[in-house]
Amino acid sequence: MMINDHLSTDLLVDYLHGELAPEDDALAHAHLASCAACRREYDLEVSLSETLRAAARAEEREMPSMISALIWERVRGARPGPLARVAALLRPMVAVPVVAALLLGGWFASPYSHPGTRPTVDAMYYLETHAAQSGSPLSLQPGPPALETSMIDGSTSPLIAEHVESSHVTDALDAAF
Amino acid sequence: MGVPRAPVEPPTPEQAAFLERAMTEYGKATYNFALRLTGNEADARDLCQEAFIRVYRAWRSFAPGTSFLSWIYRIVTNLHRDELRRRKGRYQEEIPEDNAPQEFGGARPLAVTPIDDYVDRQLGEPLSKALALLSPEQRQVLILADIEEYSYQEIAEIMGCSIGTVRSRLHRARALLRRLVERAQQQQR
Ligand SMILES: [Zn+2]
Repeated sequence: MMINDHLSTDLLVDYLHGELAPEDDALAHAHLASCAACRREYDLEVSLSETLRAAARAEEREMPSMISALIWERVRGARPGPLARVAALLRPMVAVPVVAALLLGGWFASPYSHPGTRPTVDAMYYLETHAAQSGSPLSLQPGPPALETSMIDGSTSPLIAEHVESSHVTDALDAAF
Repeated sequence: MGVPRAPVEPPTPEQAAFLERAMTEYGKATYNFALRLTGNEADARDLCQEAFIRVYRAWRSFAPGTSFLSWIYRIVTNLHRDELRRRKGRYQEEIPEDNAPQEFGGARPLAVTPIDDYVDRQLGEPLSKALALLSPEQRQVLILADIEEYSYQEIAEIMGCSIGTVRSRLHRARALLRRLVERAQQQQR
């Protein structure tokens, strides 16, 4: 890229989002200062972003209270499933400190059950899905759909914790928000 | 949405507290994100509910110090994509023919209920209409880049694709959106 080259729309979009390499960013900045045509084009892109944000603000709504009511209904109404009972049987084998109140999640998050870096729920879903597919006695109820295994897949997401020690539960809660 | 409902385990006190805080602090943002992705309240409600159930189940996987919002947006994005796959049989990258931009000139269908009317007014502006004509992935990238103001790197993590893919999707989405908005403005005159 040279300072006298006009800037492509794609490049302007990257510039607008601050996604150019420092040298390119400096060149684009210098070119915009001296080229009215590119500046017009850039202003159009800026106004598109501003319009999007303004429209989003105008359309913003509160989360309907029925959503949290339904979530709590599903959560509170839940009874331990067959897998939880199996997990409860196996839990004494696990030699890691687990907060007593933690049931299934606590067990599967232990390094014992997963020496690698898989997150808690991934393992849980894998087991449930696998059990459902193979029709094993574990699966007295239909398991979750297969999509859930990829849904929360720590192997592809640096955003998801590799492992949170149960003793850090309250720390995690505080740090999360 | 017809996402099959897997059994939910009863909460521990910590888990319940996590869910409570997540919903209090991020419910609105999550709901609005879902609303923009889906373009309608019923799907947004289902998506939002399902996302918080995932958060509830996976709460111990959440890494302190990382962005909770990025995490739940990722969950919403994945759920939305899976739901679209389920509905269509396969995921469509491009705008389907039967959803072409000529809709802009057409008369708006009569609203049936006050809620429909409200939604229609809220989402009935040229920009929202244009957004609805983008492919789901183009809409996602646009929302994340321009409304939520995430970096390309963060969007790549949320959407589970490369930065190059984020870049090209954003370029295509914006070019298309500009054309659609320009066309809508011409037709309004
Ligand atoms: Zn120029």
